[in-house]
Amino acid sequence: MATTALPSVRVPLDHPLRKAGPRALVVGLVALAICGLWAIFDPQQAVRSYLIGYLLWLGIALGSLAILSIHHIAGGAWGAVIRRPLEAATRTLPLLALLFVPIALGVGLLYEWAHPGVVAEDPILAEKAAYLNVPFFLVRAVIYFAIWLLIALLMNRWSIEQDVAGDPRTTRRLEMLSRATLLAYGLTVTFAAIDWVMSLEPHWFSMIFGLLVMGSQGLSAFAFAIPVLVVLMSTLQLDSAVRPQQLRDLGSFLLAFIMIWAYLALSQLLIIWSANIPEEISWYLRRSIGGWRWVATFLVVFHFALPFLVLLSRNAKQRGVILAAVGLWLIFGRWVEILWLVAPSYETNGFSLHLLDILAPIAIGGVWIWFYLIHLARHAVVPVYDPAFAEEEA
Amino acid sequence: MSDGARPAEATVVPPGAIIGPGQTFGSVTDKISSAVLDRVPRGWWIGFGIGLSLLMVFFTALGMLFTYGTGVWGIMIPVGWGLDIINFVWWIGIGHAGTLISAILLLFRQRWRTSINRFAEAMTLFAVACAGLYPILHLGRPWLAYWLVPYPNTMGMWPNFRSPLVWDVFAVSTYATVSLLFWYVGLIPDLATLRDRSKNILGKKIYGIFAMGWRGSASHWHRYETATLLLAGLSTPLVVSVHTIVSFDFAVSVIPGWHATIFPPYFVAGAIFSGFAMVATIAIPLRAAYGLENFITLKHLDNMARVMLATGLIVAYGYMMEAFFAFYSANLFERSMMHLRFTGPYAWSYWLLILCNVLIPQLLWFKRVRTNTIGLFLVSIVINIGMWLERFVIVVTSLATDFLPSSWGIYTPTIWDWSTYIGSFGLFLTLLFLFIRFLPMISIFEMRTLVPEAEVEGGEEHS
Repeated sequence: MATTALPSVRVPLDHPLRKAGPRALVVGLVALAICGLWAIFDPQQAVRSYLIGYLLWLGIALGSLAILSIHHIAGGAWGAVIRRPLEAATRTLPLLALLFVPIALGVGLLYEWAHPGVVAEDPILAEKAAYLNVPFFLVRAVIYFAIWLLIALLMNRWSIEQDVAGDPRTTRRLEMLSRATLLAYGLTVTFAAIDWVMSLEPHWFSMIFGLLVMGSQGLSAFAFAIPVLVVLMSTLQLDSAVRPQQLRDLGSFLLAFIMIWAYLALSQLLIIWSANIPEEISWYLRRSIGGWRWVATFLVVFHFALPFLVLLSRNAKQRGVILAAVGLWLIFGRWVEILWLVAPSYETNGFSLHLLDILAPIAIGGVWIWFYLIHLARHAVVPVYDPAFAEEEA
Repeated sequence: MSDGARPAEATVVPPGAIIGPGQTFGSVTDKISSAVLDRVPRGWWIGFGIGLSLLMVFFTALGMLFTYGTGVWGIMIPVGWGLDIINFVWWIGIGHAGTLISAILLLFRQRWRTSINRFAEAMTLFAVACAGLYPILHLGRPWLAYWLVPYPNTMGMWPNFRSPLVWDVFAVSTYATVSLLFWYVGLIPDLATLRDRSKNILGKKIYGIFAMGWRGSASHWHRYETATLLLAGLSTPLVVSVHTIVSFDFAVSVIPGWHATIFPPYFVAGAIFSGFAMVATIAIPLRAAYGLENFITLKHLDNMARVMLATGLIVAYGYMMEAFFAFYSANLFERSMMHLRFTGPYAWSYWLLILCNVLIPQLLWFKRVRTNTIGLFLVSIVINIGMWLERFVIVVTSLATDFLPSSWGIYTPTIWDWSTYIGSFGLFLTLLFLFIRFLPMISIFEMRTLVPEAEVEGGEEHS
């Protein structure tokens, strides 16, 4: 293969990221301990807040799986430069599988349809019981995780193989795997979104919801990988791989995903608002009473309009600091949206923010980031033999 | 002269190349402009003749329609939208490939788009022309079409701005305008080439007028590049917005089978799916007839097939969501709508649609099918049929059997429905053959940037 090897740069032992990991772990464990104590007195609130935190970090890991697949199929140096940060995120899936346990145990506290008494009195839930029942819910979760873990395992293993020899057959295998991944990802994430989020309000349904969650996960993956890359660039010698052009492309992708998210969210809103059918519009009504209206407005302005306007500027897209700041801001925005999706399902009296809604994402995030950084440091931070680098040279 | 007389043509194009070997600036210009300036092949007259005959069918159908009104069609209550609206959505969907190729692939720096963008853009324009006629014909009183446009009038009447049907008027007319501008701006350097090469005085004059004094100076090129990039930026949202608004025509209602939140992305994917199928349907015979194998290579066909496969899978995802949510909604009407699609009076159209749009396109997973001209041609025709059936299923089956069984009704298209549809191919083909005859069907100057000579002179700049 004509591809020239890039130097294999690793995170050195005295790198600030090495210290950041244990600190994140401490913060995470403290927050987790508070959540755990709280759960003894108010398990319902604890598991509901936990779901919000869980979905936030899971979105980054799953989105990374999809973006990696797109890169392996379509090529492009933009993907090669964030490949390792994305791969490290997919290697957190075993941890996330473990972290799913509280949700599996708390099904009854989270979902109305998990109570036979409620279902018996509700003809619509009785009709849905063939799908929405606890055993099948758990079986599906096991299937999703089995698929995600298998894909993450193969994708990472072959990616490291490519580093050693640059064998074009490995590259080819990664491409084949990525095609299967996109198919599997589309299906599993759609049904996981229905199971874990949509069924919080089991009467409500929206066909676009799976795509909306996929779009958000893609956005999360870029919003997370870009700051990681910017930190690596500013502390390590990556000039041979990362060019201004690629940073600009990443900014454009972030912009594109902001637009995709807005497009899907607006489509859903407009169609439901226009038809104004009670079983559908009630979902939006719950999310626009009292303070939730301001949360929704916040999403429009700060999850869409502001980052959109910033990223329109070519100058902003070339400056790593600005790009990283937009990415981190969007992770915050993701938390707000997930809060807005989940919390109003339980609250009928308007906005309320529980302390655990803030602590649970920090708790999971702290542990997750510690785990992430260990994996990021394990391999070269830029792939040695990605064919996309050679393409860009030509 | 006998054997191996055409070395450039006879050489096999290496796999993966987007232009054949041995091409130079001169050979590219000669080859493409000869289709316009030299003798017209007999095949052109046959194709143009077919197009013109079908156009006569169209005029006859319109004559009937204008004389007797929309009663000549099979539409009735409850199926008030029939073939006319199906054809509108179908044609406008086909147009999307042209815009996608010329705008989005340009922004993504995909150089393989170069040889197919010109005629794909032309196809867009002609498809939009066909599409735009149907809503006007559907009005019944087409001479009052200007009522669609909001303007201050003595009646104090305004269109309902909350209705996507009004948004359609703006979306489609913007789309037609921007596509026309983009296509024309892209043509200017080539029109100048034809002006310089034409031996016919009249031809020189006409090409000269439309070339608007293009001399190819550095400042001309500079402005040209800026204009193209701006137009590409303008067109990109149009790829999404037009079919999104078309999908709103259905989705904002409360009719089961129409009211589905997935419609916007699923319609856009379907539009690109059918658009690329139509580009392949046109490109494959064209490259054979004019010997363009060096310009429209197997790599192009392969890439187009991949786009079809990807968008086809999104469309299949849409069908799956419709079926799953009919169950998951636990709504009586949603469920009965889906049940009737599977087993009702129009079940044939649903299963044929699944065959054409979901099952057969899976052949495109195989590289042997993607790079086999005949195989790909057949698959692309099947996709065109499938996408037409999709609109038939959506429009007709949802209306025919809605909430009240007492008001159900079966729609049967009449001969005038069909002739208005088949006739529109006449309009499309006539325009297409006139385009092939009088304008370069492949962008000459952009192809020149792909030949080896351009690399030496720093042709990389033009991407």
